[in-house]
Formats: sequence, C-alpha cells, structure tokens
Amino acid sequence: MTDLASRVTAVLERSVLPSVVARGGSLRVAGVEDGVVTLEASGSPGAALPLASRAEALIRAAVPEVTRIRVIGPGGEPPPAAGGDLGDRVRRVLDAEINPTIAAHRGHVVLTGVDQGWVRVRLEGGCQGCSLAEVTLRQGIEPVLRARAPDMVGLIDVTDHGSGTHPFFSPAKR
Amino acid sequence: MSTTGVAGARVLLLIPAQTYRASDFLAAAHRMGLTVVVGSDGALPLGGHPVLRADPRDPERSAGRLVSRAGPVDAVVAVDTPMLILASAVAARTGLPHNPIEAVMAATDKAAQRRRWAATGVYQPAFRILPAGTGEQALASAAAGAGFPCVVKAVSLSGSRGVLRANDEAGAITAATRIRSVLAAAGRPAHEPLIVEEYVPGWEVSVDGLLNDGSLAVTAVFDKPDTPEGPTFEETLLVTPSRLPGQVLAAVLATAGRAARALGLRHGPIHAELRIDTRQGRQAPAMLELAARPIGGLCARALRFTGGVSLEEMVLAAALGHHPATPHLGRPSGVLMLHAEQAGTLRAVDGKAEAAAVPGITGLTITIPVGQRVRPLPDGDRYLGFIFAEGDTPEETAAALRAARNRLHITIR
Repeated sequence: MTDLASRVTAVLERSVLPSVVARGGSLRVAGVEDGVVTLEASGSPGAALPLASRAEALIRAAVPEVTRIRVIGPGGEPPPAAGGDLGDRVRRVLDAEINPTIAAHRGHVVLTGVDQGWVRVRLEGGCQGCSLAEVTLRQGIEPVLRARAPDMVGLIDVTDHGSGTHPFFSPAKR
Repeated sequence: MSTTGVAGARVLLLIPAQTYRASDFLAAAHRMGLTVVVGSDGALPLGGHPVLRADPRDPERSAGRLVSRAGPVDAVVAVDTPMLILASAVAARTGLPHNPIEAVMAATDKAAQRRRWAATGVYQPAFRILPAGTGEQALASAAAGAGFPCVVKAVSLSGSRGVLRANDEAGAITAATRIRSVLAAAGRPAHEPLIVEEYVPGWEVSVDGLLNDGSLAVTAVFDKPDTPEGPTFEETLLVTPSRLPGQVLAAVLATAGRAARALGLRHGPIHAELRIDTRQGRQAPAMLELAARPIGGLCARALRFTGGVSLEEMVLAAALGHHPATPHLGRPSGVLMLHAEQAGTLRAVDGKAEAAAVPGITGLTITIPVGQRVRPLPDGDRYLGFIFAEGDTPEETAAALRAARNRLHITIR
C-alpha cells in the first residue's frame, strides 16, 4: 500500500468507518490514482454512501493531496441494468409487495432516486423514526428488492428518522 | 478479537418492539456475514428474511413456536431485556448454551438481586424490601433501618426510572408514593415490592463484560464522573477506560463477576453498576444493579474494539462460541446521555452542528422527534439523545462531551 493510501486508510478507520459499521456496511480503500481515492463499499453498501460527503471532507482535510473521492460497490462498478429501468421495477415491487404490508403499521416507503444501481428510499409515516425501521429495511425490503432486482447495487435509507412524528414503535429504556 | 470464522452461522435474534439496539445488532450480524432469523413482537414479515412472531409475555408458547419455525440455529441472542427469558427458553429447548431462566428473572428483579447478593456475601448497600401495601409507619421504619440518606427504588424499571433519594422518613414516604405512581403509569402490577436502601456516596462505574461458563471477560469499564447525588439519578456522562487505581479496579471487576455468578448467570453479556464506598476509610466496590444484557440505550456505540469490532459483534461472536481472549478497546471514548429536564413537548434541539463541531465529538443522535411529549425522571422512559466522543485521554473525552452538551439548546414547553 502506498504512503498516500495508508494515510487515507488511517483517516477512514479513525473517523468514518465506525459510522459505516454501525449501519451495517464497511469501506476500504480500493485505490488511489492521480489524487482520486476509490472506496469500495461492502456489507450493506447502502450504509456507506450517505456518509460519502463526510468521508470526502475528512479525508481531503487530513490528506491535502486527495482531490476527489468516488465510492464503488462490491467488485467494482455497478453491473449493467437487467431488463428495463431499475427504478420502475423497484417502484413496482414497493407498491405491490412492500407498501400494502407496512401500511398495517401506518408506514409507507417511497423511491426517491436511482443512481448507478444505488436505490434510495425514504420511509414515511409509522416507519419514520420507528425503533424497528432497520429491521423492516434490512430483513424485509432489501432482500425482497435484491430478489426482484438483482442489478441493485445497494439500498440507501435517506429518511430523516429524527423528524418522524408518529413512529409506530418508539425506543424505551430497558 | 476476530469475528471471522462465524460467517454463515444462523442466529435467531429476538428483537423487542421498543428498543434502541435493533439496528446495531442487525448491522453487526450483517458485517459478520451471519444469517439472521428475527423473532419479534413488533417486526412485520415482509417476505424477505424470516421474521417470526415472538411474544415475551408468553415465553413457553413463543419458545415452542420459534423452535418449530426458525429451523436449526447456531445461537439465540436477546437484543434487549424483554426478550431475555424467551431467549433462555428457546436455547434450553435447542440445546444451546444459556442462562437458567430463574437467573435471568433474578437479573431483571432488583429485589431478587439484593436477596441473592445478601445470601452470597456480595458487598452492597444495606436494604429493606417493601412489599406492596406497606404502611407509612412500616415504610418509615424500614427507611430508618437502611439509614439516611436512602434511595427508594422500583424493582422492575431501569435507566434510573422510578428511583428517588430521600433524606428523612417523610421524604421516604413521599418517594415511595411517587414511585408507585410511576409504576402504575408504566403498567406494572400493583403487587410489586419496592426497595429502600442506604445511599452510598462515591465514584460510580459501570462494567460491561461477557460471561463464558461463569468466567467474566470484561469488555469495558466506564467511569461516571457526573453522576448526580439525587433526588433523581440521571445517567449522564460515561467515559472509558476507567481512571480508578489498578487495585480498586481489580476489586470492581471481581465484585461484578461474583455478583453475576451469584445470580446464577453463566453466559452472555452483563452490564453492572457499582459505587466505590469510601465511608469506612477503604475503597469497597458496592453493587448497585446488574443486568444480563449489554449497556443500555445507544451507549455501546461509544465502544470500538481492535479491528473496528463493535460490542454487538462481540456479543454475537460469544453466543456462537467465539470468546474474546482480552478485548482491546481503541482510544479513550465516551458517551453523554441527554435527558428531558422538564415535562412538556420537545419543541427544538438547536446547536447540533455547533455541538458536533467540538473537537473529539464523533457522533450526535437525537432519538426523540420534535413534537413529542417528554418527561424527566423519575418518570422518563426515553433518552432525548446521545453524544459520542473520542480523545487522547479520558479527561479530554469528558471535556469534549461537556462542551458539546453546552452548545445544545433544548426547548421543552
């Protein structure tokens, strides 16, 4: 590993990785070339992308030679889309298989965007701020979408859970 | 500790509906490559990975259902207190290592803890059990017997909920009445006893560890430098590693291990709270409480072990038979729990960016949305949020947490 990559890795492990790990993912430095750092997200890859801008700010502040950060999925670039628009397929699965079920908890999930195989969703209603939202997302929604849309690179939860006014379950001291 | 070698193992994770820890345990399982079967009293089955109905109020029937439907599993882990008894029941039926159910029950009942520690010589505050229906005179007499100042406690609540200090007999009667109202509001049965115990002044610490056939591997010792002296006992600032002298620290760890074994616990995580009693010119660790689970709330996020391993990963690995030799923490770290200081509606939490910008702060999470009703202790059953920090020293870490707290402006009306 080059000195530059070692320094970037040190910043990553100290300041960014704990947050990514807490969300079910992992990040590693896959390469550094011409000032561009390539980070590979693994585990639950949607856990890493929301922190990419913070990671870039921290790494560029600590390692001035770095000019840009790019995040890739496991194994490199996202695979080409399989059969039709990924967004349309994801939206159909959400509408047909997910939302009718989570409506029982006053919840709703909305597709907010698709970018290079990364699917962004927002949880609303009873799911927003719910103590079991992560269970719904990682045990329910993500595996269903992976089965129906295998070209999905990762699922990103863009919900502002801190602003959920009517979570179905609230955490409590135990 | 390495958590490799467990990838592919199948774990039944019992997740209660109202917990802070679901996402961190799922994240840990995901990172370790485990296959997770969720048992829950709240999670919805969406057709992805298995989610099974688990009712902690009916452990026998739920255990039977889980065993028949979960398929073979390599470990059963309770994510939070309400699922502990059910986890033991399932593990017993499947032949997996587990704590005896009566030990788990004792660990969730502060009166049972006090009795068992008294019977086994574990050092603790003088105490009296107050059965439901204890009259004022008997209560005042029991409080006087424990000694003033005293602490009146509910036996079934946690997180300092239903705990009040009293300085005299009248104060003890008032405290007991107040705690009875907290218990009623929490839906606890009216026949629950209360405890009155002597107030032990002194430095407070908490010990987290993992039991392996009764042997305790300590994962973290937190100092609690800002613990209040009453009347309520908000858990505020936790910083690790402890600054206690080595000899005192060793006594703390020995006491926590003995206390766990005295309850009959032999496997899995424990979280113990102790005070260093210096009243007799010595430094004697006195057991306050012990739970058969990891540290509460989101506090475990303050801990990161060698290789970036989380406490939840350690718990899961231990449940799968991979026990840490000597867990090594990274840098000094800490967490500050935010509490409601008055009752009302949470209107605003301002200054978050300023607080997060304090050097050393690694995270800030507000866990109650604006607009929700909040209550202070002894009623409060939720934390407003958590601030996390790292530093080169425990002192630096504590200073960062206090500075960040001072930049937050919490409006409750």
